[in-house]
Amino acid sequence: MRWVHVLKLRARSLFRRAAVERDLARELHSHIELQVEEYVARGMSPEQARQAALREFGGIARFQDDVRDTWHASLLGDLRRDLRYAWRGLSRRPLLLVVSILSIGLGVAVNTTVFALAKTLFLSPPSARDAGRLVNIRLARSSHASYEQWRALSTSGALAGVAGYQIESEVNWLRGDAAVTLVPMLVTANFFDVVGVPVGRGRAFTAAEARAELDPRVVVVSDGFWRSALGADSSAIGRAIMLNGSPYTIVGVLAPHIRGIFGYGSAPEVYLPLSKTLLPYLGEPGAPIVQLVGRLRDGQTVGEGRAAFTAAAQRAEGMMASPADTGFARLEVFAPARGLSQAGPPGSVAAFLAVLLVIVGLILCIACANVAGLLLARNAERRHEIALRLALGAGRARLVRQLLTEGLWLALIGTAGGVAIAAPLMAVLNGASLPFPMPIDLGLSLDASVVGYAVMLIIVACVLSALVPALQATRMALAPTLKDDGRTVVGPRMTLRRLLAIGQVAVSLTLLITATLFVRNLARTQSLDPGFDTAHTAVAQVAFVQDRYTRETRDAMVETALDRVRAIPGVVSAAATTGVPLTIHAGRTTGTTIRIEGGKDGVHVEFSGIDVGPDYFATMGMRTVSGREFRRTDDQGATPVAIVNEEFVRRYFGGRDPVGRTMDLPGDSGAVPTEIVGVVSNAKHRTLGEATRAAVYASLGQQNGDSRIVFIIARTAADPSMLLRPMRRVIGQLDVSTAVEVRTMRSALAFAFLPSRVGAIVVGSLGVLGLVLAMIGLFGVISFGASRRLREIAIRMSLGASRAGVIGLVLRDASLVAGIGMALGIAASLAVTRPLAAFLVEGLSVRDPLSYLGTVVTLAVVAIASSWIPAWRAARIDPVAVLRQE
Amino acid sequence: MGKPSDLIQGTLDLLILKTLTAEPKHGWAIAKRIQQVSEDVLQITQGSLYPALHRLDQQGLISAEWGQTETGREAKFYELTKTGRAALKTETAQWERLSAAVGLVLRNA
Repeated sequence: MRWVHVLKLRARSLFRRAAVERDLARELHSHIELQVEEYVARGMSPEQARQAALREFGGIARFQDDVRDTWHASLLGDLRRDLRYAWRGLSRRPLLLVVSILSIGLGVAVNTTVFALAKTLFLSPPSARDAGRLVNIRLARSSHASYEQWRALSTSGALAGVAGYQIESEVNWLRGDAAVTLVPMLVTANFFDVVGVPVGRGRAFTAAEARAELDPRVVVVSDGFWRSALGADSSAIGRAIMLNGSPYTIVGVLAPHIRGIFGYGSAPEVYLPLSKTLLPYLGEPGAPIVQLVGRLRDGQTVGEGRAAFTAAAQRAEGMMASPADTGFARLEVFAPARGLSQAGPPGSVAAFLAVLLVIVGLILCIACANVAGLLLARNAERRHEIALRLALGAGRARLVRQLLTEGLWLALIGTAGGVAIAAPLMAVLNGASLPFPMPIDLGLSLDASVVGYAVMLIIVACVLSALVPALQATRMALAPTLKDDGRTVVGPRMTLRRLLAIGQVAVSLTLLITATLFVRNLARTQSLDPGFDTAHTAVAQVAFVQDRYTRETRDAMVETALDRVRAIPGVVSAAATTGVPLTIHAGRTTGTTIRIEGGKDGVHVEFSGIDVGPDYFATMGMRTVSGREFRRTDDQGATPVAIVNEEFVRRYFGGRDPVGRTMDLPGDSGAVPTEIVGVVSNAKHRTLGEATRAAVYASLGQQNGDSRIVFIIARTAADPSMLLRPMRRVIGQLDVSTAVEVRTMRSALAFAFLPSRVGAIVVGSLGVLGLVLAMIGLFGVISFGASRRLREIAIRMSLGASRAGVIGLVLRDASLVAGIGMALGIAASLAVTRPLAAFLVEGLSVRDPLSYLGTVVTLAVVAIASSWIPAWRAARIDPVAVLRQE
Repeated sequence: MGKPSDLIQGTLDLLILKTLTAEPKHGWAIAKRIQQVSEDVLQITQGSLYPALHRLDQQGLISAEWGQTETGREAKFYELTKTGRAALKTETAQWERLSAAVGLVLRNA
């Protein structure tokens, strides 16, 4: 272990200098004492002995230095000296220090944060016992397996276990005297046994007690729910909470900050075992119930697991009631469970993160270029010193190392700055409340791998920003540098600094164009006409407890609620519906072959649809183009009726008025001849950016009405937010077990605006950051360039050049750099922004001329502004004073 | 003759290592011991002794620890490490080869 010993000593002499010095002094002192002792033993008096010993010893300081030299014959010793030297130099230039630290700090902070985000979403396994053995399983045809399929697969023994989960249902939780809608994680009884989610208090439910057939009434809650809803009460375990009107006993609380199996940071508040009570269609053959997650046996590889599972699925398919190709036996995905549930990375999120990674990478490049530019300028000022040292025989490698040390300092402080900025940035992201139906806990944190990534970036940044300047500075020809003393009349035209500035301008132009595209996209999205009025309506989501109402009592209750809402002052009209466009309850989309009266047999149609009550279209602010709205009389006893939209008419009726004609729509028991009674204007259904869809609206009174959720929409001439409280009150009074959530239409649609809003905010602010950093760089280059030309400017002025002329001179310099940079930037943008098309709404091109024009103008203005100060300063010099400096 | 500066480079290191084979010693005792054994021919000054000791320490050939002399004074004791013992062996062999060679040349040339 010799090297350990040596390393320890080296480190000691490096970092604990004082202690080592003391030790040496003590040792020498002890030597003298021993000598004195001997002389005394030989018969000298103590006084004489001490003098003799000291005389013999000679100058202590002389050889103390020799001893010290043995400590420093190493790279580490040099490093220590270099660090001190570099720090002295840097601390004399606070501006350089501050700009560098801010540039690198910001660059590193945004990179680290995006990395943490990508890690959370794509690289982090769910919180589970031995998560590496978990696999996502997806059968062909459907994202969800039926209950029957799950049971067959989980008992097949192909894997150590197969569990299922879903987050598509809602339950009403009675909190105090009002019901709140929760999105629970509904899981198969063996879920906790198979996955092994860490539990903080109590326990998870077991497969034995939670079988769906037992109608289990147990619940496991999240740590967040326990804290916010149960007041972190440790006696909560064993108590019951009222869900859908029934008591469910809390058996356990999960550990804090669980990474849910579904991914995306989703953090369900309650975990409930599947049951017929919660999902009435649980046992129906083929009904999609759960997504599957499996656990490999010990020693089983993913490949072996896949083979065993496929075989088991095929055996099981043979035993199914209808052994037709149900897609059961074929696997679509069988892969280790990572950050996202169904393994297939959802395109848009992954692509957006990829775009973000590129953007923040570019920002870091701009930041590095800033620092490199500043160091180049600084080294240029020290040309004389460096040349002198080279002339005196300093090795180039040694000098480069010394200059690199400055970069190391900047990088070290930059990391500290970056981490200091990243931490609150992540906190903001963690705390961002997104309009999702369940809590999101991204759990971004500065863990080891994130900090490691930051350190790696720092090393790259340090090398990028300090190595080039160091090489450049030490490559100079000695003689001319020493002679001219750095005071040339005309500098070189195209220096490395200018190239850097050109690159910065080009990169920041590309960033800005990207940012502008996203911002324009948001503006476009917001101005897109959804086809209905979002400014004067409020929506109440009314969720009934399953089985508490019959069809008739529910309809009666909706009628009562509507009457009461209509009675609220200011309400113009109100209507009921089973869905609200552009929300997660946007209704169904059907693709089927139907017969249309007067048309050919069997036309394939695709349409969106919701069931709506009387006055729906008037309340939503949609036009009735032809025919009528639904009436109260369009109920179960009457002729089945439907209303279609203009797009449906254009596609399937060739534009002729279909009112009064009949088509066969799919019903529960075969085709139902349905009369078209009206045509309404087009509206968006699922996304704002979608192409116009054909739509068929059915009468709420005629549909089966197993829908547990009904929306009541109210229209007012005034501010719809005035309706929130009264609507909440009058509907809530009807039945406390019913969950009522009232929002203005605008806020109900927040979900639809989310992607474009997130894109615009995130990319927009990153673009601005890039712009600011690039402008700092440009400012530095121009002011440095001007200061190097002071002599030239002074001569020109004494020869009669006007101040305006001098300003023009400097500005010309700036516009050359900015102009070339922007030209390159435009070319680069045209080439690289093409993939962004996926994020933009229809009608906004990635080559949107307005975005390009706006960006170029902005950049030009900022470039002129940032070179104006140096130009102005140059024009105000006193030529006599400058020339006298000779 | 006999002045430490005349010692061939590296020889002092060898002498120090050799002196430490029997037991750990402090700097003063090492100098004394070399002086005695060489019958006062080799006198090691502190100016060469301590740099050499620290160099050997940095190289890991010896290790140092504070202790007490028989007379109760505190002193820094140096001890041969395992590596140091091995180094001593090879260095001694080399020295013997070298001195034998020098002897041969002096006698026969």
